[in-house]
Amino acid sequence: MWGAPAEPADYYEPGKTLSVRKWQAAFAPDGQLDISKTLGRIHRGGIHPTIRGEVWVPSRLFRSSEYVRRKGAATAGTKHYEKWKSVCHEIFPVVGSGQFITAPVITEDAGTTTNSTDMVKELSNGPLDQRIINWLLLHQIDRDVGYCQGMSDLASPMIILLENEADAFWCFERMMRRLVYPTYRGNFRCTESSVGVESQLSHLAMVTQVIDPKLHQHLEKLGGGDYLFAVRMLMVLFRREFSFCDSLYLWEMMWALEYDPDLFYLYEEPSSSMNESKMRSRSMRHYGKKEHPATPRSSRLDDVVKILNDITGSLDAKKACNEAIKLHKKYLKKAKMT
Amino acid sequence: MAHRVDHEYEYLFKIVLIGDSGVGKSNILSRYTRNEFCLESKSTIGVEFATRTLQVEGKAVKAQIWDTAGQERYRAITSAYYRGAVGAILVYDITKRQTFDNVQRWLRELRNHADSNIVLMMAGNKSDLNHLRAVSEQDGQALAEKEGLSFLETSALDATNIQKAFQTILTEVYHIVSKKALAAQEAKANASIPGQGTTINVAETSGNTKKGCCST
Repeated sequence: MWGAPAEPADYYEPGKTLSVRKWQAAFAPDGQLDISKTLGRIHRGGIHPTIRGEVWVPSRLFRSSEYVRRKGAATAGTKHYEKWKSVCHEIFPVVGSGQFITAPVITEDAGTTTNSTDMVKELSNGPLDQRIINWLLLHQIDRDVGYCQGMSDLASPMIILLENEADAFWCFERMMRRLVYPTYRGNFRCTESSVGVESQLSHLAMVTQVIDPKLHQHLEKLGGGDYLFAVRMLMVLFRREFSFCDSLYLWEMMWALEYDPDLFYLYEEPSSSMNESKMRSRSMRHYGKKEHPATPRSSRLDDVVKILNDITGSLDAKKACNEAIKLHKKYLKKAKMT
Repeated sequence: MAHRVDHEYEYLFKIVLIGDSGVGKSNILSRYTRNEFCLESKSTIGVEFATRTLQVEGKAVKAQIWDTAGQERYRAITSAYYRGAVGAILVYDITKRQTFDNVQRWLRELRNHADSNIVLMMAGNKSDLNHLRAVSEQDGQALAEKEGLSFLETSALDATNIQKAFQTILTEVYHIVSKKALAAQEAKANASIPGQGTTINVAETSGNTKKGCCST
């Protein structure tokens, strides 16, 4: 089941990565988990692969209360998932049937028909689990946001990492929640004239302007001031730019940071939406850093797109994240001064 | 060396690939620019592009081909990339009727967002899947004629007509651009001297009038 690509031996640093021992130490004798003890490690060095699935369980890393009961949550999640699946199976017998569908399934928020052919097409093209189809349908039924290309990019790591189907689904569901709801990132929320991810693009523009005004001016001069060239990165959380292992590392770090209560004070923002979007922008920053040395060569916007397309799968997440955190501090410092 | 090669072209044409998702746009692009085909390619998120330099009537032309996400939901973003495109290849899948029926919608999309002089071509892709065909070649041809588009059936899988499709659209673009350039040159040549003369005359007259005004 642990079908993830092999990770380099030196990928995990002792003292930084959340180790098995540290994870176990976060549980009190009565089974209570104090996840705050693990977050520092996770955002410094990710999670050791042997416990990744266990930590990822949505009731842990995704839950926003600090103390989480160890066992109860998991079984309730499984029951909920099975119940939910059977309800959906009644509405759409294809859920859980293992069949591909070719008929329109659900009406989109914009009023047009979502053709699930799109989805099945994409899924059947890749070596993906049938479960992902179930999930995407479940998700589609649950939220009024239809299937969007890229969603399956986000689902596949859950399938690979979490043995328990229900856990994996809720993990995916939590993630989608962040990417669908406008109060979070709202990436996949689309209307006829806009795509949710655009608000993040404008945050990115704003942050770049503060941190690196020269880069921002350069991009504006090239006609890239809308930052549309960064859509894919933000849309699927760098899943395509980073290798499999690196994107997991990045996600863990992001989740751990988003969990950190101290960070809420740093932002001095009561609304969680601002927190998330700025956070995202900060995570985004490493690409800007990466890109910077290349800018003298990028005399046209096409060159920018080309540079970004070419880094697919070749970014070092660890370095990028470290840079991102530095840039984030720089941003906060500069933003405070102005 | 790479830089020299990169600048060895006389024209740079931006072409966009559009059409429903799953019709094979990304594979058309990879077949043309890298001679690659991938059965399990991922869906395009946002936009990607690749280039290839070719000869069109003895001139080196660099084709910069933009591959866009086909899904309806991404349209608000992808339409921003039509800007500056001199050509568009509208792709449908010959085994999926709906992708052909949607051609009209894509045309509308182009008319709303692209340059009005954009050169259009329609490609019925996946011609290797003849046994699953849902759109006849005649239907494609008829629609192309009605809408004034050039038309080819292509297969990114076995490379049928891929080269030809790009060669056709780029040649057509080249003809328009070189004709325009020639016309502009001629116009400039004809207009330059009288233009200057007029300016001087106007200045002089106005100057005279003013003088006249002041002196009286």
